[in-house]
Amino acid sequence: MNTFASPLVQAARPTSRAMPWRPLAAAAVLLVLVLALLRASGQPVDTFLTVAAAALAGLVVGALHDPAATLLATVPVPIAHRRALRLTLVCVPVLTLWWMLTLVAGPSSASHGPGPLMALAASGVAVAVWMPSQRGVLVGVSVPLAWYALDQLVPWTGVAADVSGWWRTDPWSVTACAVLLLVAGRRR
Amino acid sequence: MTALASTSTGVAVRRRDVDVVRALALVEARRMLRNPLLWIGAGLSLWALWSAVPNPEAWAGAAYQETPVAIVPFVLAVSVVVAISFHRERVPVAGAAPIGETERSVARLVAATPLVVLAVGISAFTAWRQRDVGGLTLGVEPGRTAEALFSFGELAQPVALTVLAVGIGAALGRRTPNLVSAVPLLFLLWLATSIYWLLGDHRVTPFSIVQAQPVSLYAGPSSADPLTFPAHWLLAAPDEFSTQWTRAFVSDGLAWWHALWLLGLALLWLSVALPRPARRSLIILGATLAVLGVGGQYVVLP
Repeated sequence: MNTFASPLVQAARPTSRAMPWRPLAAAAVLLVLVLALLRASGQPVDTFLTVAAAALAGLVVGALHDPAATLLATVPVPIAHRRALRLTLVCVPVLTLWWMLTLVAGPSSASHGPGPLMALAASGVAVAVWMPSQRGVLVGVSVPLAWYALDQLVPWTGVAADVSGWWRTDPWSVTACAVLLLVAGRRR
Repeated sequence: MTALASTSTGVAVRRRDVDVVRALALVEARRMLRNPLLWIGAGLSLWALWSAVPNPEAWAGAAYQETPVAIVPFVLAVSVVVAISFHRERVPVAGAAPIGETERSVARLVAATPLVVLAVGISAFTAWRQRDVGGLTLGVEPGRTAEALFSFGELAQPVALTVLAVGIGAALGRRTPNLVSAVPLLFLLWLATSIYWLLGDHRVTPFSIVQAQPVSLYAGPSSADPLTFPAHWLLAAPDEFSTQWTRAFVSDGLAWWHALWLLGLALLWLSVALPRPARRSLIILGATLAVLGVGGQYVVLP
């Protein structure tokens, strides 16, 4: 097996055991419940799906929080690999949940692709990686939530309105920029 | 003599506890009030309340229904600020502190009192703004008013929601292993409560968190003559979302019972946050208030 992948495969199970899954499970229950209620009462679901994207993106970024980070700093596996492992472990259930939510939401005029979720999550992860302090992950978690709030709650006009809506209107470009930032900061 | 000595010692201990709780509460209150998130949330809520005015292009009652939801940014901020405070209980050295967790938790709750006072201020602002614009519109002719104002019960809702926000923030802050999990959950919880177009449904409203009156009730089929409905009913005409005449039901009593339901929920959440000795009584009291609140709402709803 690849010398880079082997330690990560071995670390996958203990890492997944150490990650907090209850918040994601609680979010999943709440999301499915509210969407089912909306669907049953024939109400529009698109607005709530944007809320779901922001909250799930926050939870994805939160997976970077590693209480044992200081202890693991001395092991020969690079920090970028450890982060990638945690993100992979959390992205699989989150994307499955997103797919389930789109099924519960049913057909709609708007697209329900995972683009906005990926854009918000990638932006949060990029900020978390580049933030120098120990609070980097908390700041990164706040990025998707703050971006949602800036877009949906503040009455921007003109260029500001366009920029604040990029995560919805042009999610894959935002994701690509965030991934470039992540690659640049892979040793941080 | 021994009895007298033990009584005076007990009084001294109690006074010392009160002093300690007061001192801790002052420190915590200062920390909470200095958090910029609180003021950003309050600013967004005030801006939303300022903007909730009758708009001829929107549906009748839009401003009235949007007003209760305007408090959501503020209560989300309150929850996060309280969660940060209660999360400090998870620092390992807290267990070795010279006073117990119960006293520290009580101090944190006392420290949250200014946040409830802020909510009272936001309610007062709502009442003033509605009078300033000459009232809000509700319903369509022949069941219509252009001078609708929130009742005391509806104005009490932001205060009750703030108490609930303190409870939820305390529970998630104390029990989640890290704040990075608690913050997205709080965001989701509060944003989910702001879907007012769902909460106005009469089947959902007794259990809703943010109650957005008027509640939609069946009045008659689309072919019905609206002049045959009782004169005091506020009405919504058939449209793309409804194929029937709907009664827009507004009630002060419903709002008060809903506030009781929210207080019950707040106590239940607090029971999760506080240590064991206080837990059982909070659960009993919270469950009683919540059941009474839901029951009362069903009694009021026609």
